[in-house]
Amino acid sequence: MFATQIHGDNGKMKEYHYTGPVEHKFSPYSFNGGTVLAVAGEDFAIVASDTRLSEGYSIHSRDSPKCYKLTDTTVIGCSGFHGDCLTLTKIIDARLKMYKHSNNKNMTSGAIAAMLSTILYGRRFFPYYVYNIIGGLDEEGRGAVYSFDPVGSYQRDTYKAGGSASAMLQPLLDNQIGFKNMEGVQQLPLTQEKAVQLVKDVFISAAERDVYTGDALRICLITKEGIKEETVPLRKD
Amino acid sequence: MAERGYSFSLTTFSPSGKLVQIEYALSAVAAGAPSVGIKASNGVVLATEKKQKSILYDETSVHKVEPITKHIGMVYSGMGPDYRVLLKKARKLAQQYFLVYQEPIPTAQLVQRISSVMQEYTQSGGVRPFGVSLLIAGWDDACPFLFQSDPSGAYFAWKATAMGKNYMSGKTFLEKRYNMDLEVDDAIHTAILTLKESFEGQMTEDNIEVGICTETGFRRLTTAEVKDYLAAIV
Repeated sequence: MFATQIHGDNGKMKEYHYTGPVEHKFSPYSFNGGTVLAVAGEDFAIVASDTRLSEGYSIHSRDSPKCYKLTDTTVIGCSGFHGDCLTLTKIIDARLKMYKHSNNKNMTSGAIAAMLSTILYGRRFFPYYVYNIIGGLDEEGRGAVYSFDPVGSYQRDTYKAGGSASAMLQPLLDNQIGFKNMEGVQQLPLTQEKAVQLVKDVFISAAERDVYTGDALRICLITKEGIKEETVPLRKD
Repeated sequence: MAERGYSFSLTTFSPSGKLVQIEYALSAVAAGAPSVGIKASNGVVLATEKKQKSILYDETSVHKVEPITKHIGMVYSGMGPDYRVLLKKARKLAQQYFLVYQEPIPTAQLVQRISSVMQEYTQSGGVRPFGVSLLIAGWDDACPFLFQSDPSGAYFAWKATAMGKNYMSGKTFLEKRYNMDLEVDDAIHTAILTLKESFEGQMTEDNIEVGICTETGFRRLTTAEVKDYLAAIV
């Protein structure tokens, strides 16, 4: 094969090998970025996500939130491959309607979480490329967060971050909400105001360093009064 | 009658618009041992006659009143083997629901699903309808429920009802005796009296079965407990 010579960093010549034409297999998945976060309080829950939709180095949209309202007391955040996010939320909506028609009541947060686990595992051998986090109120009115992996493994949490900047957010939440690695600190319960401010702060930090996170932050605050939405701008670069 | 000519196939309507096989299945139920269900303010009572053909039978090894889940139970009138098939299906359906929603199945949902199974057997090839009517008792959240499920797949919610032999006189008896403020203890008493109306011979704790469904769940009464209630009647 041909060997074209290029200069490397240290001044010496670098070997470059031309390997010939390469065929690329069709990939059914693509990564559209986005970060999701959910926090459960004593009598409230927050589900927040950025609104940037990207692919590679391009931005598809600056206004594509990843929070989807399911019932008056439950919101789901989905990030990963946008095609699967859309399909999955449509399927969940349809299942919610079917349950409501036959059971004459809305699904509880716990039931939605359990059902989502079975839906995801149903595609164990061609998974939905979606990182899900459900936030809502449980039957006693307390905040509940359920976090999932793409094939349906789930558990109830107090707080969880998912998506592209999750590795940046999760340790900060561990420290601020879970009081991890802190000694001699008074562990006050998390108030609604502090939780919202914390969510804004962590997303601002994530937008600084993660290219897939930015543009705007959508916060859904769930209380027994209903669901309130708030949008906060983030770095657009 | 012209109906007879249409009884050869389940899936053929007769001129009067009936499916004769289902009518015959209902006759099989009406010829079966009597069973009674009563919904009280704080629970549901199921009772049935369990007459054995011989004293050599080991009556403790087979039961008519059976639990489906912790909070739902059922009893039947009609063919025992058909009942056991439906009982098994009902238990599986209840667990399938729990697997998906991690919540105990609401009674009405279970009844709807089991009735759907019974309907399938009236519209499929090579099968016959189930020869049983089921009485399903359950407790969801804070409410008691009593349902009847027929061979046709039709289901009804009842305050009180009777099935099997002499069910008409049983129902008439209940119409007179039922009121909304009954508690479970009174309902058990009334259920046993209803069974007694059509009972031939001496009623003992070994030839009837009673089940109750309350806040704490569904359970079959022990023979000792049944004996106490019987003593209150005689």
